[in-house]
Order: sequence, then C-alpha cells, then structure tokens
Amino acid sequence: MELSSFVQNLMNGLAIGSVYAIFALGYTLVFSILGIINFAHGAVFTLGAYFTYTLAVGQFENNGLLKGINIFPDGSPFSGSAVMFGLATILGACAAGAVAVLIERLAFRPMRSRGADPLLALVSSLGVALVIVNLIQLLVGAEIYNFPSDAYGEVRPALSFQIGDKVVIIRTVQLIIFAVSLVMLAVLGYVIGRTKVGKALRAVAESPSTASLLGISVDRFILITFFLSGFLGGLAGTLVGTAFGVAGPYFGVVYGLKGLAVIVLGGLGSIPGAVAGGLVIGLAEAFVPAEYSAYKDAVAFALLFVILLVRPQGLLGRNLIQKV
Amino acid sequence: MSDFLQSYGFLIVTLIQAGLLGLSLYFPLMAGQLSLASPGFYALGGYVAAIMLTNPAFAGLRDALGNGIFPLTWLAAGLLCALAGVIVGVPALRLRGIYLALATIAFVEILRVVSLNLAITGGAIGIFGIPQAFGFQDRWQYILIFGPLLALVLAFTYMLQKSRVGRAFRAIREDELAADAMGVPPTQYKVLAFVIGAVIAGIVGSMSAPFLNTWNAKQGTFDASIAILAFVLIGGSRSMWGPVVGGALLTAVPELLRFLQDWRLVINGLVLVIASLYLPQGIVGALGKLRKSPPPARPPVAPAPDAKGGTL
Repeated sequence: MELSSFVQNLMNGLAIGSVYAIFALGYTLVFSILGIINFAHGAVFTLGAYFTYTLAVGQFENNGLLKGINIFPDGSPFSGSAVMFGLATILGACAAGAVAVLIERLAFRPMRSRGADPLLALVSSLGVALVIVNLIQLLVGAEIYNFPSDAYGEVRPALSFQIGDKVVIIRTVQLIIFAVSLVMLAVLGYVIGRTKVGKALRAVAESPSTASLLGISVDRFILITFFLSGFLGGLAGTLVGTAFGVAGPYFGVVYGLKGLAVIVLGGLGSIPGAVAGGLVIGLAEAFVPAEYSAYKDAVAFALLFVILLVRPQGLLGRNLIQKV
Repeated sequence: MSDFLQSYGFLIVTLIQAGLLGLSLYFPLMAGQLSLASPGFYALGGYVAAIMLTNPAFAGLRDALGNGIFPLTWLAAGLLCALAGVIVGVPALRLRGIYLALATIAFVEILRVVSLNLAITGGAIGIFGIPQAFGFQDRWQYILIFGPLLALVLAFTYMLQKSRVGRAFRAIREDELAADAMGVPPTQYKVLAFVIGAVIAGIVGSMSAPFLNTWNAKQGTFDASIAILAFVLIGGSRSMWGPVVGGALLTAVPELLRFLQDWRLVINGLVLVIASLYLPQGIVGALGKLRKSPPPARPPVAPAPDAKGGTL
C-alpha cells in the first residue's frame, strides 16, 4: 500500500473509530453498572441526531412534531454559525441523555426491583427501541434528513497535504469528530477516575449491595450512568450524522450492532476497552480494500466472532470468573 | 370453511411458522444456552430450497424428481444446517450467557452480509419466482406441510424432555459445572441442543421459501433474532408450549392491531416492554402458576375462581 493511501485510511479509520468508541462507551457504562446490555442504545443514538437537527436546522418539512423550533432566530449573532451548531449538539446529546434516564425509569428499574431475569431486560430494552424507532417514523416521517453542509460554519475547508504525488484529504468534519471524541474521553476518564462521583460509580459497578451499605444511593448513580450513556450515544449520533449526512429512523440500527462488537472486542464493561475496540474496528473497516467494500459491514462481526473464540474477555477485559 | 382458509390461511401458516422458529430457539435454551442464531439457519435453509428450486444447475434433478424435489430440499436444508450448526456450535458453545448471544448475532450478521454479495444467492435482490410446493394453488395449503411439521417437532420435544438427553439438558441448564461433575458431558449436549435448533430453523426456512415465493437477505436479520427470542421469553421459556404460544401471539398482535395502522409497531414494542415487566415467567409460566396450588411455605391463598380454566 502506498504511503499516501495508508495515511488517508488511517485518518478515516481514526475518525470513524473514535465515534464508535464514544458510542460504545455508552453501552459499556450501563453494562458495567447493571450487567445488562441496553439494546435501546442504538435508538438513543438516532434520537441524538434528530434532536440536534431539530434544534440547529429548525423544521422537518412535512409532518414534524417539533416543527418551527429554532433556538437561535435568524439574524441573531449565533444563527448559522458553528457556535450554534455546537450548542445544538450539546443540547441534543443532553436530550438523548434524558431519554436514556426515562428508559431506565420505565423499562429497567421496575424489572430490577422485581429481581427479574436479565434476559427479560434485554427484551424490554428491545421493545423500547422498537417504540422509539417507530415513533420517530410516525411523528417525523421515514425520510432521511441531511445535516447542512455548513453545519460547522466557517471552519469548512478541508485539510489536505501531499505525500509523494498523491493528495491526502482530511475533511474538517473528521478532524472535529476526532477532537470531540478525544475531549469526551479525557473528560469521562477524569470524571470516572478522579472525582468523587466516579469513585461512587466504580463502587456501584463493583458491587451494588456493598455500595448501598456504604451509603451510596445506587438508584441515583444508575440514573447518572444512564444519562452519561445517553449523552454519549446521542453525541455520536450527531457526529456520524454530520460526517455522513444521513439520519433516518433506522439510522442507529447498524451502529447499535456494531457497538456491541466494539464493546465485546475491547472487553465488556471496560472503558479503555471500548476505546480500543472502537479504534480497532474503525481502522479495520477503513483498511478494507475497495474491491471488497461490500463486505465492510461484516468486518466488525468477523472480528467479534474471532475475539470471542480466542479471548472471550476481550482485548482489555478482566478474566472471566467461573462460579463453582 | 374454505372462505375462512382463504382469508386467514396465510396468517395461520405464519403463526405456525413463528411457533416453529420459537421452538428452534427453545432447544438451546433447554440446555441453558441463549442462542440467537435461528434466523441465520432459517435464512440458510431458505436459500438451499430457493437455489434447488430455481437454479439451472438443478434443472435435471427437478425434472427427474417432480414433486419429490420438495422433501429433498427439506432434507438438504436440514443436513446443511446440521453441519453449519456443528461448525458454529463447537467453537461458540465454549462461551456463556451474553457472550454466546453476541457470537450468534455476529454469525447471523456475517451470513447476511455474505448472502447480500454472492451471485448464487442473487445479491441484494435475492431469489424470486420460487415455485409453489407440490403445485399448491393457495397459500393456506401450506398448513398441510407446516402443520405436520409443528406436530412432529412438538412430539419430538415431548419425547426428548422425558428422555435421558432431555434430563441432561436440564441438568446443564440448572448448573453446568455440577452436571459435568456428575458425568454429563456439557459440550456434547450443548452442541446437540444447538444442532437440533439449527435443523428445525433450516427446515422451516426451506418450507418458507416457496411459501413466500421469494427469498433474500432480509429473511435472516438481527431483528428476526430478537423477534424469535421475544416469542420464547414472552410465551415462556420453561415449557415447550411457551415458544408456540408466544410465537403465535406476537405474530398475531400486529395483525389484530391492524386497525391501528401505523401505531401497531409502537404498540408491539410496548407489548414487549409490559410483558417482560409483568409476565417474567412468560404467558405459559403464568398460566401454570395459576393452576398449581400455592406453595406450602407461603400463607394459604384462596384459589382464584378461574383457576381451572387456564388453558389457551
């Protein structure tokens, strides 16, 4: 492979891999606390993109429930600018976080208090995903919405540089995605590793009953976890939407599944693992030769299958303890 | 009667089909293995039948066998799925719980992407114009092959549960390590349970390809995995009637709600959420509890008036 195409693939892979990573972090946070996989996470991802679109771009043309909402009226200093889009992204992610909290309250907590089979939580979260996806379709429509090409305002021109006789192009969107993901990872790493909230979260993840004996309000930290998870999922939805310009009701389904591959590859419940898994899968997909690009979607699952057979605890996961 | 079959025949066949797919997932679950691979084997079986019934390479065989080609497709689909079941099952069954579920999701997804890209499976368009089984004129006539298959699988399940093998499955489900210590080899039985499920799903697929007339990569998707898992869990995962009742009911719900038009998928989702909250044992499990006398440890409860009428 030529150096120029190598660098190009590397950049593409890092950008998409970092989105996979922050999306998968949402999965893995919930898994590490509750030991269940929240299958509605892909739907929250879709919602994030829709919320941001609603806030930043304004109206869905035909049948929008949220028609006409625009936080920055035309003519105000922020309208149409990158600042406005950034703000909308953050608010959209917060709204996605709020939905995740709602999901926890309505679909997971009642089940926990009954001590139900974790498998049923899986079915329940799938039911939630079904409701969300179809509600979007009913209320907003099945059309695909594109984020405007000037979503990030004036920082539009792409970076390009020459290696040998070929030009490597790095889109601004890719740089932004990569930067935002790094910032998110750093913040999350700090919150979980260094703050009191993070300490409590880790205690709950280790043993909810012991944590509650120590005076930690387990339910409250589960809500915080779900908010963080939804925030990360919704943020990933907006970032992917701006990079690839697509958001329909089924936008998150493929990401929902790939996110599973990412967290298992990295190690279920492991935060550095989710990051490593995201980057590995993003890079692996970017390096699929063009003539096999039809098989790109299978790469994540092939990696998932192989890692499960070779090292079921994942790249950075803890050893699985067998109960006797 | 014929009017009834004309109007509801398609639905009845679909209900039986759902019940059978539920049962295909019930077998691995009997041995405590959560496998979501059924749609993969269902798709594989369907492709086997679709290719044998339409591909020019099999034209000579079709002419020679006449209608005999249909049972042959069932046999071929069953055998191929058994083989695929062993190939996937032996390595995958080293995994437990959610890990096995994820590995089988990966299997289904890989199969889907591959079938989308192969020439023999017709790529994204799939295979169409599949001839009707035994020259059936109406869709309801498929009851004549799906019905006996359901009866056969139920009879087989009943006998299996009473047998040594069935008890071994249950032992592994309750405690794999203890079963191993008692001399029940878990791996062999787990693979056996997985393969039985694969064969059933494959045969259902091979019957469904002519029934649906067309076969494509949409037949075996993650959505289907989840739908089938929901059949079993909502119906009840501890009795062979659970998957059948759950499959029939969850397939019927969107149809019964047709008057709600676009809302029916939303309500279908709500049904999943509410049923998993309030019927943790599944419908059959809940009915079984109604019929049983209350356990002695608890304070005596007056039996509900409708306690005997609890059969569907």
